[in-house]
Amino acid sequence: MPYQKGWIIRRASLPLLLLAVAPLTAQAEIKLNGFASIRGVQANSDGGLEPFPGYTEGEFDFKSESLFAIQAQADLAENLTATVQLYADGQKDFDLEARWAYLSYQINDQHRLSAGRFANPIFHQSEYEKVGYAHNFARLPKAVYIGFDFSTVEGMALDSQYNFGDYNLQTKLLYGAWDGETFSAVTNSWVNFGLKDIMALNVSLNKDWWTLFGGAFTAEIDGATIDSGTVFPLAANGINLALANGATAAQVNDLKSRIGWDQKDGIYWFSGFAVDYNNWLVDYEYAYWETKESSDAPNTSWYAAVGYRFGNYVVTVHHEDYAQDTDFGYLDGVTHPVLLATGKGIQTAFASREFDANGITLRYDFHPSAALKIDYLTGSDTRAAVGDYQMMSIGVDLVF
Amino acid sequence: MKKLLLIAGLVLSPLVQAEVAVIVHPSNAATLDADAVSKLYLGREKSFPDGSAAVPLALADGAPAAAEFNDKVLKKSASQLKAYWSKLLFTGKGTPPKEIATDAEMVKLISSNPNMIGFVDAKSVDSSVKVLLKL
Repeated sequence: MPYQKGWIIRRASLPLLLLAVAPLTAQAEIKLNGFASIRGVQANSDGGLEPFPGYTEGEFDFKSESLFAIQAQADLAENLTATVQLYADGQKDFDLEARWAYLSYQINDQHRLSAGRFANPIFHQSEYEKVGYAHNFARLPKAVYIGFDFSTVEGMALDSQYNFGDYNLQTKLLYGAWDGETFSAVTNSWVNFGLKDIMALNVSLNKDWWTLFGGAFTAEIDGATIDSGTVFPLAANGINLALANGATAAQVNDLKSRIGWDQKDGIYWFSGFAVDYNNWLVDYEYAYWETKESSDAPNTSWYAAVGYRFGNYVVTVHHEDYAQDTDFGYLDGVTHPVLLATGKGIQTAFASREFDANGITLRYDFHPSAALKIDYLTGSDTRAAVGDYQMMSIGVDLVF
Repeated sequence: MKKLLLIAGLVLSPLVQAEVAVIVHPSNAATLDADAVSKLYLGREKSFPDGSAAVPLALADGAPAAAEFNDKVLKKSASQLKAYWSKLLFTGKGTPPKEIATDAEMVKLISSNPNMIGFVDAKSVDSSVKVLLKL
């Protein structure tokens, strides 16, 4: 996982500001809570490359999925709360970071406004993705919860909830931005990346034993580095060949503006349902994302899970699938055959990774605040360096 | 037959759960059913029907009345309830009800604050509080 150097100073300053504000109120009550996962994981692949970044192929280790977090919440004034979440992730050598730091104002029973740094609700469970105790998987299915680095954003959010008889409707509106690094499967490396003007809406409708949910966010991609470091180098040979075969500079610039990601619109959306009926648990989530009008390949992913709860145990089986399609519509109007082939080739390269998996997880609540989880996952990744892969883990998720 | 009933009664008596009373301040005029109480305890409603703020208090894990209340009103085990609140607590969407250690402490707190709502073993109720609901 990337170490987001650009964030360190800002990450430190906001929590310090909040902590500085807290003592101003003599009656500030500070609540401390936390969560942790201590999990040993073995990830193997036929190709020898770890199936997901952050794991060590062929080795049993406790770093890939272990994490600790402490959350401090201070009531500064009536309805005004400051929250700081300090977080240490094994994948980042347990370096402590202020993952979240925000102020919340409870406007009334329905609405709460927050400002600062908090979770980006990319998909349905993204906001509590790291809180293993909150769900029944060892890790949320990677096909949907692939580990985007923009899981934390800076901005404002309005959380609302409404009751209509037995129905409960929850919504979240968010405006924010993010910059950091993201993983490129094409180059198997981390590249600088940013999202500006993130606008998100999430909706969740619940009644008794079922929940329907959906959401979307759009953002402007800050992708100058991914363009110069990944996209344009991939096109370089094609462009040189096209120039040698009569392509004009204007045609080349046109292609570059099409294949580039910078300043294009990213769109992410999801929908699904959850059922908890007579101890049977069913979950389904479908997600889609792409960088519009660019060489990025549209991504389609989903997972479906069925679980059964008996006493303090929950057994869950699931299937997950992550697919990428090519859509060459963004090249409409490119007439030079070599440039057209280059554009198609780049998107095909970005679409080269697909994977699926089947998994089984046993959860045992051996304590009201701790769950033991054992899981086995077997899947297949289209990258030759990975191929068929398996993951096994045993660990404990805690909340306190 | 009488003997049989007596034996059955003796055998089954340890399985009979304690009766739980949902209590409020005597001045609280609210009438709530179990569903409405559940909404307050799950953070889905934050006020009594008259609009005044509701502050739910819970008995700590381990108190017999707590397991009974979780099962009958919230329809969740202690672990399910903890997982439910983990989702809200660590996403800034809510904080679980404050936990109170004993019935006596609960009765004392409820009797001193019209905004609070709590639950205890029905045997612990005294005249300083009003019983809203018995389960």
